[in-house]
Amino acid sequence: MAASHAFRGLQAFTFTELFVQLHEITAILTSLVVQVILLIFVAILDPKLIGLALMGAILFSLFTLGQRVQNEAAYIRIDHKLDQLYLTSPLAPESYFFGMSVAVLLAYLPPIAVLVAVTAYVTGFSLLTALILLAGGAGLWLFSCSIGYIVSTFFRDMRAIWSYASIFYNVFGVLPPVFYPIGELPAFLRPVALVVPPSAAAGLAQWSVHRSVLSGGEVLLASVALGVEALLTFYIAILWARRSVREP
Amino acid sequence: MDGDPLRASTVRKVYERRGESPVEALQGVSLVVRPAERIALLGRNGAGKTTFLRIASTLLAPTSGSVTVFCHDVASEPELVRPLIAVVPQEGKPFFHLTPREQIYTYLRTRGFGRDEAKRRTEEALLQMELSEFADRLNITLSGGQRQRTMVATVIATEAPLLFLDEPTIGLDPFARRRVWESLRRLTRVGSTILLTTHYLDEAEALSDRLYIIERGRVLVDGTAASLKAEVGGSVRISIEGGERARPIFASFGNALLDGGILHVITTPERVPEALALAARERLATTIGPVTLEEAFLRVVGRSIDAE
Repeated sequence: MAASHAFRGLQAFTFTELFVQLHEITAILTSLVVQVILLIFVAILDPKLIGLALMGAILFSLFTLGQRVQNEAAYIRIDHKLDQLYLTSPLAPESYFFGMSVAVLLAYLPPIAVLVAVTAYVTGFSLLTALILLAGGAGLWLFSCSIGYIVSTFFRDMRAIWSYASIFYNVFGVLPPVFYPIGELPAFLRPVALVVPPSAAAGLAQWSVHRSVLSGGEVLLASVALGVEALLTFYIAILWARRSVREP
Repeated sequence: MDGDPLRASTVRKVYERRGESPVEALQGVSLVVRPAERIALLGRNGAGKTTFLRIASTLLAPTSGSVTVFCHDVASEPELVRPLIAVVPQEGKPFFHLTPREQIYTYLRTRGFGRDEAKRRTEEALLQMELSEFADRLNITLSGGQRQRTMVATVIATEAPLLFLDEPTIGLDPFARRRVWESLRRLTRVGSTILLTTHYLDEAEALSDRLYIIERGRVLVDGTAASLKAEVGGSVRISIEGGERARPIFASFGNALLDGGILHVITTPERVPEALALAARERLATTIGPVTLEEAFLRVVGRSIDAE
């Protein structure tokens, strides 16, 4: 299928969803609450780790965008039935999923930009760190939005999705070494952390500022794992977006 | 565009859920919708109307049978079908955080309309649905009826060749319903074709060129409202309280249709005085009126459209 056909209507639908998201100003303004609380804990317990935790907060913020995509996709399908309006139109199903993901990213970018600015001020990070945060953040966003969209299609009840989303995004975003150094983990758990997308991105960011000692193999493992997981889940979400339009 | 807007041939749909017996929602539905027609699928709740509409609009796979839209198979060529259709979902709501104007405009842009054309159509649709007064208020602040009108306006603004409307006037007041009807009539005048589901008999009668009565996943009958009413066997309906008990008393007056505790006797105007006199002697309360689609439905289905 030609790419132009696969992403037909992307720009217009992204604009629609961005418009919708920007009306949720309270949600945007409060999107950093968990991150700020965790940063306060770190600042109290070990102020030396604040730079590392700030990088974790940036990555965590991008990871939780998947939760917003998941809630939005489920909400407009279950409550508004707007999927039936849009997915029976010339809009490509891929554009429906990806447009929603891009719109959520754009809407929530300003608070994340504030975090980036604070992090840059506190840590004065290098070009390498900036590039790792950019690539790792992009990979995390792609991974979590893809998972979020796929998962949203399985639910028939909004209440169930809220509890699921809270567990998934907190367990994978807070529990692994995102806000604390990966070196704090027992050795046998490090490879596991390095293949979990949020901690893989955080591990690479920590390595770039020399806060965690990773071997060459571990850097490679985290990079490949994050890249493959992001691209693979994105690819599956693209296929699923088209496949799930029509119920069997 | 070639061919009929819609052709369905022996469409079956069986829902299979783990741990539950399969449910056959459609049992071989066949129908044809011709260009610029307004067709109503009329049936009770759970008759299979929405299932059919979801299949025809590419949202649900049929178990067997085929549906084509302008000669494109909805199952194998959905990408070719979707630009030709637009759907008002049952109980659909517009984005709460958009205004009606934004909802219609952005939807048209999503469908590929240019800025100017989208703006022109948006204003036209707002006017037709009498939404101009609320056009810049967020949908979340509108009443249920105003939201429903926004959904209808969004879809009619497309002037798609084939429109599916699933219970489009549910929750609307009588004036708003008539506005929707008028807009749909206008659309078919400019060449669109409309397939709508409804369980409002007056809506089916006022709006449709032809209608299909569906019951338990089967098309029981199709025709115009006038032809279906003609088959009832008279032009006057006398509704008599007393139900089954009253049937033998009025047997000679014409067709008698039982609807719960009410017996509807279908007869000719000449026999009305005699029937009313008889009812008065028997002390049975009666009402009288012209034969409507309700009696036609009752005759075909054996139950009122509102019966559970």
